[in-house]
Amino acid sequence: MGKHQLNPEHWVATYGDMLLSYAQTRVNDRELAKDLVQESFLVAFRSKDQYRGELSEKNWLYLVLRSRILDHFKKKSEVAFSKLGPDQDDDDVHFTEKGHWKKGAAPQQWNADRLALSNEFYSSLSDCKDALPDKQNAAFTLKYLEQKDSEDICKELDISASNYWVLIHRAKLALQDCLQGKGVT
Amino acid sequence: MISCKEATHLSSKKEEGKLTRMQRWELAFHLFICKNCKAFVRNSNFLNISFQRSEKAELTEAEKKAMQEKVNQSGLK
Repeated sequence: MGKHQLNPEHWVATYGDMLLSYAQTRVNDRELAKDLVQESFLVAFRSKDQYRGELSEKNWLYLVLRSRILDHFKKKSEVAFSKLGPDQDDDDVHFTEKGHWKKGAAPQQWNADRLALSNEFYSSLSDCKDALPDKQNAAFTLKYLEQKDSEDICKELDISASNYWVLIHRAKLALQDCLQGKGVT
Repeated sequence: MISCKEATHLSSKKEEGKLTRMQRWELAFHLFICKNCKAFVRNSNFLNISFQRSEKAELTEAEKKAMQEKVNQSGLK
């Protein structure tokens, strides 16, 4: 047995808010985040016999929650994959045949210093991320919130490397479009 | 010379250090002369940072109680 121990009777009081914040930042839906946290506590409790005390209680609970969040995105992106046929090339919305920006589709540089202080910007950002197709949202969340590298994400979502880069690329274009549409400058 | 479509693709790969030396040059040169792609890359970098900001969320006392109850109950089964 390692040096750490579990105290399940204090879990919710001690880690509830922390885990909820973590989940909500990623799935962007409070009810869903709450369900994921509840599930994580139950899964953790049921598998407490496997806890060897090598990780702290807190890190162990985060680990359980992370895998629930990952499952959530996997399920969502599987549905998305089965629903869609071959992806249409929506790069065409932004680029001409020769690969130049189309008129009106070219990005304008934003005033980052001002935006970073604007709550309105962050709420637009959540809305726009939510509006992404599920596959893009999954790849994007794993990359930017979980800081995972492309090999891991490809394995987890079961997609090819080239498919992954296309998803990330389209997500970025779509996000910038959406934000500009909401008046971000 | 690479197109804007290629340049934006390369800029994503660059974040993971996946470019060859040649590609790095092509991208750097393109960004030097293309204002639109430069804006795209700067905006993307800003978005990356913005996503690191985490939301603060809290459970109400009632929710906490209900949640802990479920954990306790699952132990009795």
